[in-house]
This record gives sequence, C-alpha cells and structure tokens, in this order.
Amino acid sequence: MILLERALIDLLLNVFTREELNAFLRSPQNTATIIGCLIAISGALLGSFLLLRGMSLTSDAISHTVLLGIVVAFLLMTEVFGMEGDTSSPWLIIGASLAGVGTVVLTELLFRSGLVRQDAALGLAFPLLFAIAIILVSRFAEDVHLDEDAVLVGEIGLAWANTNSHCYQHCDSVTITPEHPAATLARQCSNCRELGISPRDDGAEFVEICGNCGVYSPARAWSAGLLQNQPHLVFFPKSITVTLVMGLLSVCFVVIFYKELKLTTFDAGLAKALGFRPGLMNYGLMILVSLVAVGAFDAVGSILVIAFFIIPPAAAYLLTDRLSLMLLLSPIIGAAGAVFGYDLARGQLFGIWDVGAAIAFINQSLGLDLPARWDSSISASMVLMIFLFFLLAWVLSPRYGLISTFVRRLHQNRRFQNQVVLAHIHNHQDTERREVELRVDTLHLHFRWQPEKMRRVLARLRVMGLVRMVDQLVELTERGDAHVHEFRKVMLATHNVPDLD
Amino acid sequence: MPGSTVKAKLRSDDHRVWLPVIIIVLLGLIFLALSQAVFGVRYTFTVRVVALGGAVLGVISGVLGCFAVLRRESLMGDALSHAALPGVALAFLLAGRDLSVLLIGAGIGSWIALRFVSAVLSTTRIKQDAAMGIVLAGWFAAGIALLTYIQSIPDASQAGLDHFIFGQAAAIVESDIELISIVGVVVLIALALFWKEFKLVTFDPEFASANGFRVGFINTMLSTLVVVAIVLGLQLAGVILMVGMLIAPAIAARQWTRRLNQMVILAGVFGAFSGGIGAVISAFDSDIPTGPTIIVVAFALVVFSITLAPGRGLLWSAWRQRLDRRRFAALNTLRDLYRYAIAHGGARTPVPDDFLRGIDDRGAALGLRQLKSAGRVEFGDGGWQLTQSGVELAEGALHNLRLWELYRLYADELALPMLQEDRQRDIRERLPADAIAALESRLEGRQS
Repeated sequence: MILLERALIDLLLNVFTREELNAFLRSPQNTATIIGCLIAISGALLGSFLLLRGMSLTSDAISHTVLLGIVVAFLLMTEVFGMEGDTSSPWLIIGASLAGVGTVVLTELLFRSGLVRQDAALGLAFPLLFAIAIILVSRFAEDVHLDEDAVLVGEIGLAWANTNSHCYQHCDSVTITPEHPAATLARQCSNCRELGISPRDDGAEFVEICGNCGVYSPARAWSAGLLQNQPHLVFFPKSITVTLVMGLLSVCFVVIFYKELKLTTFDAGLAKALGFRPGLMNYGLMILVSLVAVGAFDAVGSILVIAFFIIPPAAAYLLTDRLSLMLLLSPIIGAAGAVFGYDLARGQLFGIWDVGAAIAFINQSLGLDLPARWDSSISASMVLMIFLFFLLAWVLSPRYGLISTFVRRLHQNRRFQNQVVLAHIHNHQDTERREVELRVDTLHLHFRWQPEKMRRVLARLRVMGLVRMVDQLVELTERGDAHVHEFRKVMLATHNVPDLD
Repeated sequence: MPGSTVKAKLRSDDHRVWLPVIIIVLLGLIFLALSQAVFGVRYTFTVRVVALGGAVLGVISGVLGCFAVLRRESLMGDALSHAALPGVALAFLLAGRDLSVLLIGAGIGSWIALRFVSAVLSTTRIKQDAAMGIVLAGWFAAGIALLTYIQSIPDASQAGLDHFIFGQAAAIVESDIELISIVGVVVLIALALFWKEFKLVTFDPEFASANGFRVGFINTMLSTLVVVAIVLGLQLAGVILMVGMLIAPAIAARQWTRRLNQMVILAGVFGAFSGGIGAVISAFDSDIPTGPTIIVVAFALVVFSITLAPGRGLLWSAWRQRLDRRRFAALNTLRDLYRYAIAHGGARTPVPDDFLRGIDDRGAALGLRQLKSAGRVEFGDGGWQLTQSGVELAEGALHNLRLWELYRLYADELALPMLQEDRQRDIRERLPADAIAALESRLEGRQS
C-alpha cells in the first residue's frame, strides 16, 4: 500500500509541485470527489454484470455482511492478537471478503437444501449476519470508530484528514532516548505503592521515566518541534489508495476476463459446454464485489454502497443494448453522480439551483420554520444524484425512455388508425354498399369509434391528401390508392396476407 | 382414488402442525422460568411492555410474511422497509414527532416505493431484483440525507428518530402497544375478510384473473397490508433487519405444513416467540440490542424447523435416504449375484467377492450383510453362494422386474390402471389380480 502510494506521488510530483499537491488533497471536496468517483467506477463495472445476471441484490447482501467480517477481524486483531485497531488494515479487508463470500455460500447452502427459495435464502442469510455484527459491535466494540453512523453513511467528508505522510526532503526521523537533550524525564517512585509510603519517606526508590521517548517519523518530529529544517512532506489520504486499488482490480478483472464474463453472463450453459467455468467466474465476481464493498465501507458505509453497484448499470441498461457501451456508460453515470453529489450535499444542485431557496419556499407555503441551510450527508447526496440520473435515463432514453416510448406508441396508433380507415374505404368504394359504408357522418359507427376520433383521423388523412369527400361520401385519392397498394405489397412481402384481388 | 389419498395426506398434516405449536409454547414457558431463575431477569414494567410489543409485532409480521415468502417477494420486504425512512423523516419535518404520524409517513414512503417498482417493471426491461435495489438505495439515501438535515435543526425533539434505522424496542411505551394492537387487529380482520382472494392470487394469479377477480387490485391490497406490517415492525427491528423479521417465521412455518391456514397460524406463533423471547434476552444486559437479538432467535427457529420438520426436514430426509439405500442395496446385490451365477453355470454357482465389491463396494457390503443374516446367501469356498431361499427370492424379484417392464410396454394396450412405476415394489400389491394375470400370460407368450 505504502509503496504504491509512494510510486503514485512520485508520478504526480513530475507534473505538480509538492505544495500544489498538498493543497489539492487537503480540500475535502477534491478528496471526497476522487474517492466517490473511484467507488462509482469499480461498482458500476462489477454491477453491470450483476444486473445482467439478475443478481443485483446479492451486492446488497454482501455489503451488509461485509460488516460482520470487519467486526470479527477487528475484534480478533485487538482482543486476541493485541494489535492496534486500524480500520484500513489489510486483515480487515481479508476478513470482510471472506464474510462476503461466506454470505454467498450460506445462501447457496440454504437454497441447495431444497427447502428455501433463492430470494428467501438471501433474505434470511444477510439479516442474520448483519444482526450478529450489530450485536458484536454494541457489545464489544463500542469505543472504536465502528459506530452505527459509520456503518450507515461512512465518512467520506473526513477522508482527507486520515492520511499517510510521505517525506521527500530533510527526512530525519528522530529517535529520542533518555540521553537525548530533548527527552523529558520524570522521577517516579517504584516501590511506594507496595510499601505504602510516600516518596518523601526514607527507603523510597526511584526510577527515571522518559515521557516522550520513541521513534518519531519526520512528520511527527516536525510537529513536535524536534527538527530545524522543515521536512518536505506529502500527505496522502489512505482512502484514496484503498479505493484506487479496488478500482484498478475491478478494471483489470473486467478487461482480462471480458470474454469469459460476457459468455458466462449471457449463456452459462454454452460457457460450460465450451470448457469455461461459470461457477469460478461467479465466485471471482463475488470476491471482487466484497473487496469493493470493503474498500467503500470507510467512505460510504455498508448500505449506500449498493447504490453504486445497482443504479448506474440500471441507467446504462436503459440507454444501450451493447455490453461494451454499458460498461463505458455506467461508470460515467456513477462518477458524474459522485461529482454533482458533493455539490448537492452543500446545497447546490448542478451549481444552478439552490436547495436553501427551495426550503425557504416550502417554509413560506406551508408555514413551517425549517432552517434554510442545507448541509447534508455527502455519500447520501451522491446516491441521490445517481438516482436522479437514473430517473433522467428512464424518462429520456432514446430507445427505452418513457417519452420515446410514448411518442412511438402514439405514432403506431395513428398509423394503425390511418391504415384501417384507408383499407375500409378501399374495400367498399367500388361496391354497391358504398352509400351505407362510406357516409362521412356515419363512418365512425363501422369502427365503433367516437365521432370526434373519426373526425380527427379523416382530417389527418385529408391533410395528407389520401382521401377526399364527394357528396358526403369519402373516397380514396390516387395517392391514397397508391398508399394502400404499397402497404399491401409490404405486408405481402413480410406477412401472410390474403391477396387483394 | 388419487383425490382421496391427497385428502387423507392433508388430513394427516393437520395433526402434524400441533407438534411445533406445543414445542414452541413449552420452550417459551421453560425459557421464561429459566430467565427468572438463572439469569435473574426482573420482569419490570418496561421489560413486560417491550416483550409484549415484540410478541404482537411478531404475530403481525409473521402472518403477513407468509404471503411475501409464497409470492417470492421476500426481498421486497427489504426494499420496502428501507424505503420507509424518507417517509419518517418527511413526516417529522412536516408534522412533528408523534408515533402515529411517523408511521403514516413511513407507510406512505414504502407505498410509493412499491408503486415505483411496479412502474419500473412495467415500462422498462429492468428485472425485479434491480428495480428493488434501485428503490432500496435511492429511498434510503433520501432518508439519510433528510435525517442528516434534521440533525442540523437545533431542536431536541429529533432525538431518537434514527432509532428507526436499527430499531429500538426500549422506546416502546404502553400507548404504542395500544396503537400497534389496534392496527394489528384491523390488518388481521382485513386478512380474514379477503382470505379467499389473497390465497387465490398468491397461488394462481392467472386462474384468478380468468375467473374475473381483480388481480391488480387484490395484489395492491395485499402488498399494502405487508407495508403496514413492515411499518409497525420498524420500531422493533429497524429498517435494515425488518426483512428477517418478516420472512424468517414464515420460512420456518413453511417447513411444517403444506396448507396456507396452518402456515399462517404457525408463522404467527413463531413470530410471537421470536419477538417476545428476543426482547427478553436483550433485557439480560443493556449491551444487547433488541432488534438483532430477535432476528437471531427467529433464525434459530428456521434452523430448528429446517432440520427437524417431519416429512421435509433435513434429518427426516437423511433418515429416509438411509432406509432406501438399505432396501436397494439388498435387492441390487441379490440381482447381481443371481445374474452372475446364471451366466457362469447355474443359480448356485459361487460368485467371487471381488466381482460384487467391484460394482459398488459399500452397497455390496451392506447388501451382503443383510442377505446373509436373512439366510439368503452363504460364504463358501470360491465366493458367495445363494441358498435355496435366496434363489427363490432372486427369481421372484426378477420375475417382478419383468412384469414391470411388460406393464410399461402394454399398460395402454391392456387398459391397465395407471400407477406410478416403482420397480422395487411387488407389482402384485399394486395391480388387481386380473391385470397381473393378463401380464403373466403376455410373459409366457414371449418366453415360449
């Protein structure tokens, strides 16, 4: 991790100066946006395959139970092995991915028993594991930062403050021993308590205790005032590194196994027949989903992360039929949600509308007294923004959107109406019954339509120059006649329609 | 005839369902006694109120959970419970902190989510799981955003609103129980009034709509009742764990019975047990949260039912498999012995041990042991040898198999009664005598 960070910073320092880099990363907005985008990219890539496999809610289950893995690993670390509790330790990541895979296995076991259906098995497994996690948290881990709020929303807004420091110049780490001039020594009575005497009494023995001995990293040494020369430091947020690694893993997984993933997703039977291993791909995908869920846990919590898995692929799925395009679009949608979501949390929608003004309006119209300052959870706002993009895709999608579907239906409706009226006229205009069948004022009765509807259709056909009125009777114009024949020809070519004559 | 056997089978199920009810009631009583004597739980007023509330909520969610499980909408419960959160927050913002107002808000939030899922499903090609995921995440995010905003309001009354997320049983007071009970009774009455319709759309919606029932309307009504159950249970289990409370009692109940009315009653009992006992356990120590404890108790019931339920449970089927394996092992070994012996001289020819074990080692060992103790075979020099009674048995079994084969070939032609083929059984028990005679004459005709 540290080495990777170092390499990344070296790369960045070629382009930016150290001061620029520190200033950039110290801004909560930049760090939060970068982390949000990285989570969105990895989530959207993996989520696309989950969506196409009909397993979207598996990500829900995994993200819940990842908490159990984290809690158990954390408790093992601190209580059993006596390590220092650190929520970005690799052990937690390992524990959490095990828990994620464990959920999938538990679900499969329940399902394979033949007594519980698939959805019910999922719905049983993850509340149980989550419940155990909550019990463990509230019983054993109350003092750590694994509190319930962190579980729900994460701390993406504070991610900038949790950094690793990297030193580039004047990197003197300082070791303070009791002989060091800066050491603060204190005398302490070593046997007073045992003997029950005061330090002033005879027989008291003293030891020298060093209050600030230890190894100081350059950053700590400078802040403790132990260095003359300010070390040149770069502070790099830990969460960026974690989410970056997850993002790279997801991208590599999808790029390397694109063919296998595509095949096992769309035709698992064929994949198996061709010698691929659908089960193996499935577990690989689940492991990565668990990893991303863990990486995102610190930043967005264990529930909101599922939005990054499910919503962007769903939106992209409405926009395109091609898997490759879907894999391109969904990360873009997710990342855009992360970028605009930060502004929304600070009360700006797309930088144009002010949420505060809307609240003021609500206050005014409903006579309420709500504070006009909207300052909300960053991660929740990012999800809301992604959800908004889904709504937009749903309404506006060129092929599957509500509007285009509505327009297409309307168009089809009109064409159908035109065709049946033209066909009716064509069938009757040269027969004896034309006086009955084709009178303008009774024409609607033959279709069982409302008179207005027939008037609308006739008006449309007249404007198109396909029919004309002669003595209260409708008849086809030459163009109309040609139109009917053309339509017949097309239908004959594509459908089984009885011949005209 | 088949109709009457089905009915008889169902009637035998009737008795079976009382077993778990009695077990659960006994377990509950033992637990209550133990908790007082051993763990020193003091049944203060609060503990009693919370346990009662847990039990009542358990009944409601268990009963309605049956329909969610049977309609394969278990995870809908998860989505709907998360979706209640923005409703709670908005209700608080607009109308203030009053439990009934908050619950109405929650109900409206979930209900809109329900309609949203159907709208997405009917207008796009997105499948149900993704649609539920979208609703779950979107609504929950809105809820969290609103709760964060509410927390910025300088007003003490918002405290405890986030208890809806994890549930907090300790916050239940006496007046809440009145509200819960009244709503619960209304829900149960509605369920009783529309029982026939709900049953029909749950098991066969096409048939229902062909018979002129308004399936859409009935579905919406049933889902609305499920929403009510979820909303009521939120206080206890919280939005995240509510799905467990909804479906676990129903899944446990499903293992014991095949009839809807029994399943519903049993799920109610299981729900009451997990709600009440979970609440009491969490009273052991202030560090044990109620909602998660209830879920763990409910899951323990599921494990209990899946393992032990008669006819369906894991132990039961393992036992049946064992019996079947023993029966088949003897018959198969006998058949192998006889065929080998006939092919190598005569029925009493010794058969080498290696040959039998080479086919199916474990099965052969099992079968030989049974046959030997029944006096059908003996181990002499050169291998296993059939005794006289063994030869008779083997010939009888072979004859039985031939008759079964003929039955398959000529059942239609000879107009024999339809029955399920089970070649391990004696066909003479299954078919009337004249049918057997017809088959026998065919067999003779073939052999001559």
